[in-house]
Amino acid sequence: MLEVRNLWAGYEGTAVVREVDLEVPGREATAVLGPNGAGKSTLFRAIAGLIRPQRGVVIFDGSPIHGLPPHEISRRGLVYVPAERELFPQLTVLENLELGAYSSPEGLRSRLRLVFDLFPRLAERRGQRAGTLSGGEQQMLAIARALMSQPKLILLDEPSTGLAPRLVAELYRQLEVLQREGVTILLAEQQVRAALGLCRRVYVLRDGRVVFRGAASDLWGKSELRQAYLGEPRGMESVGGVAGG
Amino acid sequence: MTGILLDGLVQGLQLALLSVGVVFVYGLGGVLNLAHGQVAVSGGLVAALLLQNRWPAVLACTVGILFAGFMALLLDQTLLRQAYARRGEERLLLGIILTLGLSFALDGLFTWRYPNLALTLQLGSPYVRIGGIVVRTGSLAVAGLAVAAFLVLLAFLKGTFLGKAIRCIIQNEVGAWLCGVDVHQVRTLTIVLSGLLAGVAAIAQGFFSYLGPEMGTEFTILALIVAVVGGVRSLTGTFLASLMLGMVNAALSYAVGTYATWIVLLAVAASTLLVRPEGLLAYWP
Repeated sequence: MLEVRNLWAGYEGTAVVREVDLEVPGREATAVLGPNGAGKSTLFRAIAGLIRPQRGVVIFDGSPIHGLPPHEISRRGLVYVPAERELFPQLTVLENLELGAYSSPEGLRSRLRLVFDLFPRLAERRGQRAGTLSGGEQQMLAIARALMSQPKLILLDEPSTGLAPRLVAELYRQLEVLQREGVTILLAEQQVRAALGLCRRVYVLRDGRVVFRGAASDLWGKSELRQAYLGEPRGMESVGGVAGG
Repeated sequence: MTGILLDGLVQGLQLALLSVGVVFVYGLGGVLNLAHGQVAVSGGLVAALLLQNRWPAVLACTVGILFAGFMALLLDQTLLRQAYARRGEERLLLGIILTLGLSFALDGLFTWRYPNLALTLQLGSPYVRIGGIVVRTGSLAVAGLAVAAFLVLLAFLKGTFLGKAIRCIIQNEVGAWLCGVDVHQVRTLTIVLSGLLAGVAAIAQGFFSYLGPEMGTEFTILALIVAVVGGVRSLTGTFLASLMLGMVNAALSYAVGTYATWIVLLAVAASTLLVRPEGLLAYWP
């Protein structure tokens, strides 16, 4: 579904992400793990078109998308949910969701129903301004807004950022439902445990380069691998152990 | 007294037409358009030229308004492009320098080429009596124009998907891109809309008294005062501040004369900011 080849990206001439090769098969969840500053967000921003890749190729759904403006990429069905969420704080939950369907407004009602089924709390708060929601609710709204455009692939950047452990677990249950329904997910995460539970394929990014690629099960049991690549201290196994940031 | 207040109200409406454009372009593009007044004046002067050539008034004014929109489009596609290629403060600063330069150039051009050209629009009878109050027909015409323009604008912003896109870009540009909104395209459209409204404001000036080639800077400054007092990102705030300053303006012009009015206007703006540094309404309602 998504193929990234030899991607270089960064800011003002310096490359933050270098020589990244990545493959995301359809109807699966894939994780990009790595410590803070490894280049996960830069990689995602380059794929989504918010920054122009310095070098390399991004192929989505059979056609190249590198160099396209972000709205065009979003219209083709690749929707990015950044860690900052980028909601419209003064608009209501409902208005935020409607704008999510900006590029394909037909069938809005039925999609709203689907999204409200997945996130019942958003249905309760549909008239409330997005800026007044709690952190967890804002994250749900950001994902829900992305789903409103019926994306083929959704890029989730650190969805657990700032969430209490209980909410992280809830969020991942909802992501599992999504993935079962056939939405392809590419996920960047610092919360290794949570991500490994959801994703089949894993990439580990360190200093802008891919240092591990393989099955989640390969990384799952190897705490020395996780330590080496992710900087996770020994014995840190619980889901909510590391606060995102 | 009622007459003066009514006059102030109408002046406030005209001011709102002018200021909304500055607020829009700042909110959407992060650029303070200091040539906004000249865009308005260009529309008014085109209308005046056409009237000199005996065009029917309605047609001349319509073409004048459209010309202001066209000027705004030209500005967007040429100078502002350079500013939009940069981000944040750099964009703001470059935008200020470019549009300030343009405003000088246009001011010079207008006063050099058309020193005696002025737009004055007179209706059949200068005054009408409504419920015991004597009202200038010119004021009525301006009120009608402004209210009509705002109703169209409001319907556009609230009712259409494009209007929603404008509101969402003002709040969060990145969010808008992610939702599939072509921010560049919407921005161009908005600046044209701002130009059209500025053109309407220039025509309105013709109804009040006259519009001359040298009035661009005065328009820009008035629009800036309103934008700052109202909160640079709030349409409702702009509207309230316009009405307030319009009334202050009318009352003072009557009481102390035009020159002192400017000083008081600036003082009112400054003291509003002391109380509410972000403007009356800092954000969109």
